[in-house]
Amino acid sequence: MSFDVSTLSARAIRDGIAARTFSAAEVVDATYARIDAVEGAVHAFNELTPELAREAAGRIDAMVAAGEPLPPLAGVPTGFKDNMNLVGTHTTCSSKILEGFKSPYDCTAVRRLLNAGALPIGKCNMDEFAFGSSTENSAFGPTHNPWDLERVPGGSSGGSAASVSAGMVAVSLGSDTGGSIRQPGALTGTVAMKPTYGRVSRYGVVAFASSLDQIGPFARSVEDAALVLNAISGHDDMDATSVREPVPDFTATLGDGVKGLRIGVVRDMLELEGCAAEVRSATEASVKLLEGLCAEVGDVDLPMSQHGLAAYYIIGPAEASSNLARFDGIRYGHRVAEPSDVLDLYMRSRAEGFGPESIRRIMLGTYALSAGYYDAYYGTAQKTRTLITREFEAAFERFDVLITPTSPTVAFKIGERAEDPLAMYLSDVYTIPLNLAGLPGVSIPCAKCGTSGLPIGVQVIGKHFDEATMLQVAAALEGALALDMTPPAFPLHRRSS
Amino acid sequence: MSISEADVRHVAILARLALSDEQVSRLKEEMNSILGHMDQMQSLDLEGVEPTSHSIPLRNATRPDVVKPGLSRDLALMNAPQAENGAFVIPRIVGVEEGA
Amino acid sequence: MARDRLPVVLERYEAVIGLEVHTELTTLNSKMFCGCPVEFGGEPNTRVCPVCLGLPGALPVPNEAAVEATVLAGLALNCEIAPFSQFHRKQYFYPDMPKDYQISQYDLPFCGLGHLDIEVDGDGAKQRVDLGAEPYATRIGVTRIHLEEDTGKMIHVGGVEGRIAGADHSLVDFNRAGTPLMELVSEPDIRTPEEARRFAQKLRLILLNLGVSDCSMEEGSMRVDGNISIRLRGETELGTKTEIKNMNSFKALHDALAFEIVRQADVLDEGGRIVQETRHWDVTAKRTSTLRSKEQAHDYRYFPEPDMVPFEFTPEWIDAIRVRLPELPDARRERFVRDFGLSPSDARSLSEDVEFSAYFEEAVALAGNSLAKPLANWALGDLSAYLNAGPVALADAKVTPAMLAELVEIIDDGTISGKQAKQVFAEMAESGDAPGAIIELKGMKQVSDTDAIEAAVDRVIAANPDEVASYRAGKTTLIGWFVGQVMREMRGQGNPALVNETLVRKLG
Ligand SMILES: [Zn+2]
Repeated sequence: MSFDVSTLSARAIRDGIAARTFSAAEVVDATYARIDAVEGAVHAFNELTPELAREAAGRIDAMVAAGEPLPPLAGVPTGFKDNMNLVGTHTTCSSKILEGFKSPYDCTAVRRLLNAGALPIGKCNMDEFAFGSSTENSAFGPTHNPWDLERVPGGSSGGSAASVSAGMVAVSLGSDTGGSIRQPGALTGTVAMKPTYGRVSRYGVVAFASSLDQIGPFARSVEDAALVLNAISGHDDMDATSVREPVPDFTATLGDGVKGLRIGVVRDMLELEGCAAEVRSATEASVKLLEGLCAEVGDVDLPMSQHGLAAYYIIGPAEASSNLARFDGIRYGHRVAEPSDVLDLYMRSRAEGFGPESIRRIMLGTYALSAGYYDAYYGTAQKTRTLITREFEAAFERFDVLITPTSPTVAFKIGERAEDPLAMYLSDVYTIPLNLAGLPGVSIPCAKCGTSGLPIGVQVIGKHFDEATMLQVAAALEGALALDMTPPAFPLHRRSS
Repeated sequence: MSISEADVRHVAILARLALSDEQVSRLKEEMNSILGHMDQMQSLDLEGVEPTSHSIPLRNATRPDVVKPGLSRDLALMNAPQAENGAFVIPRIVGVEEGA
Repeated sequence: MARDRLPVVLERYEAVIGLEVHTELTTLNSKMFCGCPVEFGGEPNTRVCPVCLGLPGALPVPNEAAVEATVLAGLALNCEIAPFSQFHRKQYFYPDMPKDYQISQYDLPFCGLGHLDIEVDGDGAKQRVDLGAEPYATRIGVTRIHLEEDTGKMIHVGGVEGRIAGADHSLVDFNRAGTPLMELVSEPDIRTPEEARRFAQKLRLILLNLGVSDCSMEEGSMRVDGNISIRLRGETELGTKTEIKNMNSFKALHDALAFEIVRQADVLDEGGRIVQETRHWDVTAKRTSTLRSKEQAHDYRYFPEPDMVPFEFTPEWIDAIRVRLPELPDARRERFVRDFGLSPSDARSLSEDVEFSAYFEEAVALAGNSLAKPLANWALGDLSAYLNAGPVALADAKVTPAMLAELVEIIDDGTISGKQAKQVFAEMAESGDAPGAIIELKGMKQVSDTDAIEAAVDRVIAANPDEVASYRAGKTTLIGWFVGQVMREMRGQGNPALVNETLVRKLG
């Protein structure tokens, strides 16, 4: 049976296996064949795990043979960001300091996805410790955008985004602290979502900023993203910040349309200086489309959210500086040769192991928390966070979902912003406020840039724990847009049968 | 607030990072530039505003006092740069003795 | 000796002392933030998991029983329970701390202001020269009680006596890492080393009664640090303080503070200045020495623990914990005096230990309040001696409360003598047989039958004419010898009071 795994949806793969059109083992073979063809140019993976994938496929095929019902993601090729622990694989966080590290335990979200039948294909490249918006800050080299190999895929979950965009896996998991799922989603033309803070357990994902981090899916359709969200959501005893909210079937309401839904366009964000004209017009066009689908559209301003970037670049580094203290060369990770004493071991192991952006964030965070500066920086940022949260609450009194661009620009050239941290930080201006307020957001492709042909994403923002309505709007827009988001560099392999 | 090279060196010791002179001077510039940008928050009226450490109203999250299986010693030590007699090995400690 | 000079120094100087007491919650099943068991010792790194090893991605989840135990301790010490509290991270690098920060509490601890009343008597009371050496009671403020996690342990290899100095390298064991650790900070209300010792001793008793810890200073499950400064009597300004660590027993606590008072006085008397620093008590050399000075003090960069959410205790929740407060030693002591007519001193000894007092009360319940006093004597006498000699844990003792009650009843009704009772007790402790059975088996019933006693007395008088003559000639001290002879004649079963009375009558 011939089939093109690079274009099939997760649902189609599962259904094809269930219908015995192809086997899970054949899916694995096709997946690694696709990876052989394109990974050399893209570099989405730090590690491939064919043995684990074949083992998992064997279990699925045995279920098929035994006539057992298949779990919802049975046989679906899946990538995992390389900051998520999975026994039998390395967890490097794309950092030299964790080179060679193998976790003796599993990340909850990864385990749940595998329990839902997903096949672990590999660990995806990322910005070191998720510090970045381009996946250039990887100790193992950058990931290339499948739409233009000279451009970045966004970040920090750039490998997860590129692996889905390039058809190497159907879905993947990323982590999002300030936009690290949604921004690469926009830059690679994939569906990328960050759930409500607390919806998905953070246990086993290497922490960047504990109060902001959240795991979420990349997929080539809203439905596939919803299927993944179904599998990974729900309370976990191992994470004190995971909630006990009921988990609905997020696919159930995808076809309900937007008629009567109140959609708020965040006007002042749209008009932000630095937002590219084509991004602005693509967002406006999406809003028009939703209006055409009988949504009630209105404008809203979120002036406090413009301070989100400032608050985020205090809170994020502060928490990160603390979370990264444990990489000290004692229990695991890089240890300098011939340390003269423990202090020397700490100082040189960490300086050697961490890359420049990690060092920058650790320094910023340590400074912001140090005696005498706490109130001016961390205290102020936490209060700003309160104002941003309140502002969203007020907006959600009037609207069911809010709409902004995902990224102010399309994918930029590798190296273009590498020397200017502030310019890089501005990539996440639309995504950061959601992390500060704990809100869910999904980026879906809404256009290809008229000049470059590169993907443009639009961000739909939901209320706390109302991912369902947010995905419903995203699905309606996706249906109306009917875009083909296959990167031109990877022409569609048409099914021959 | 302006950060001096001495500040950078002090913070580097707190963070346990052995930085070169070149790194120190570059970080001084970068930190001043980035934190200067962050100073825009100082313009906000934050009088009486409570800080938010988490965006969701979760409280009292605990677990029951139940023993769960942990790691075998082999797994505990599997990533250790150096181990001896079932323990992690560290070089000598110079300077102060501490304790919580 | 510094200790000998303490009284003289205290004539001129007043000490201001505050204590920090760390107590491991050893009675819990699992660690503070993970499911690893709380136990002492064991092979290195055999009670660890991703959380307490600080592996990448692992997250802490607080143990609810540890939170409850801390609030319970707060209620026992009359603390305000905070309506809003939170864990913070205290950050510093050290090899025994897996995450290189300690999860602790900072400005929002579970328990706020409270107090503990202590009593000081005996020689210790003399240290309060301002109070005239009389026994006294005083109230020591409790600033706060909070919860945190303990560190791992290090073994220093290649040095002297396992100390860091001179060691070649060290081994780190994380079995202890993450053990729930409750920290109490007292107000600087303590004025003498004796008050410090009484405070720590009483705190230990209370925590033992609450059942939250085994409070072993030897094994380190209770650790006391002190902050101490001195000032001339009459002075209201505080002097510069030092912090004293490594006081591993109540005696060490007392002696270290006494040494430090004298040391500080010497420095001041010589015109010097006290340096704010942490000092280490060397129990062998009996002196404190500099561990680190304030200049080396840390910038801990406390911030709210983002892996956890805050705590908000409702009044209902606090009341539900309050209901679990057991009777504490002070209240029990008062009740023993009031209900059983015991002396305050006996009542105190019986009321301190929760198991021992329960044992005593069970025996009293069986024998009746009227026999509480002899029961107290037996409990504090032979029973305690037997337990200490073993040593035997009360729970393992073969003498049950019912057996002790029966023994005291049998003595009370005159069936056996006190001397016989001691033999019966020894037999009970050995065999675990009931006293009735032992008396039966050994034929130890005390003879109070006057005819049998008179006959025995007559036989002894008849057999010992010389001694009878001496006695009658005025050597009345021989009466003891005669009692012994009669008791032997009666195989120890004669009622000694009746034997004595009969002898005196017949010899006289
Ligand atoms: Zn553990």
